[in-house]
Amino acid sequence: MSDIERDELIERVAREVRRPVAVGPGLDARIMAAVRAERSRATDPAARRAWRWLVRPRTVALSPLAGLAMAAGVAGVMVLLGRGDSRPASPAATTAVLVPAAADVRPAANTPAREVQFVLVAPRARQVAVVGDFNDWDPARTPMRVSASGVWSARLPLALGRHEYAFVVDGAGWTLDPSAPSAPADDFGKPNSVITVGESAP
Amino acid sequence: MPSEGNPDVEPSDAAVIERVLGGDVDAYGLLVARYRPRAARFALHMLGNREDAEDALQDAFVRAYRSLARCDRDRFGAWLFRILVNRCRTSGARRGRRQQTFVADDFALESAAVEHGEERSAWREEIDRALERLDPAQREAFLLKYGDELSYEEMAEMTGAGVSALKMRVKRACDRLREMLREVERV
Repeated sequence: MSDIERDELIERVAREVRRPVAVGPGLDARIMAAVRAERSRATDPAARRAWRWLVRPRTVALSPLAGLAMAAGVAGVMVLLGRGDSRPASPAATTAVLVPAAADVRPAANTPAREVQFVLVAPRARQVAVVGDFNDWDPARTPMRVSASGVWSARLPLALGRHEYAFVVDGAGWTLDPSAPSAPADDFGKPNSVITVGESAP
Repeated sequence: MPSEGNPDVEPSDAAVIERVLGGDVDAYGLLVARYRPRAARFALHMLGNREDAEDALQDAFVRAYRSLARCDRDRFGAWLFRILVNRCRTSGARRGRRQQTFVADDFALESAAVEHGEERSAWREEIDRALERLDPAQREAFLLKYGDELSYEEMAEMTGAGVSALKMRVKRACDRLREMLREVERV
């Protein structure tokens, strides 16, 4: 079999895999029903509460040795940060901290929450926003304010529970928070930072 | 994968996404209608089973809707496919490929027989069987390259693999397909 014949063989395969395929009747309608259900889950307070109950943080008991190991891991991150990042547009450091607020804030009716301050040190950035599951990943909704020293910050109330987030630098660069744990890469190929907002300050 | 839709007739993906984010959830149906045929083709050939493929499609479209605000509005198609590729990987890993799944897909076989006659149906069955026997990563790369005619750069963006690795997967997939189908033709 010559190379040309071999290519013809692959082309025949390609033509077959490019042909339209049959799917079950009503698939598009089922997809849209699932999308509408998703929208209801996102907007219905009762459904949101049920979802939060499912994903709410649980207490995990750690031995002293495991605690030391975790502390060592965090320290490692901070040491790396201290060495700096040579990429000019990259932030020097980022962090999100729980602000010990005098009283809990409530972003929605009957929704327990705590105020969280996100901080990003990025002196060369022109604009920074924090995006996450709490603001539909919309960079327009939570722009951060910058200090004279190039420290960007934003405070916002977060419902108790686990949240994924990232920073958007200059409208394009998605930046993880190196001082926070990361979730594995999501469906979009991007890992996110994770913060767990508990009943009391850590 | 560029944004689809004829601007003279249909709204662009970006315009549809704006409507959806503005609260018109039904407008999302335009994107489903626009991309479902292409996505279904990939999912069915990737998973080899209509039920699994439809589950992966529904999951991918719902996940895309859930995070629509994160989407580059001019590149919805590529973004959706990246989600679908991941869904197919998860589905394939979770359930494993079932024995004879292509042959057991009566609906697809019936359609093939009616539309193209017995000879084409047999050829299609052999292709499906050969695809099924490919390594999943090679099958994925082959389908994206030859089924969707994507560039290696687009494939890299969707799969997270490097261009050179993808070229190698496609080459090995082609070699393996030639080997298997040549055996069929000799019989």
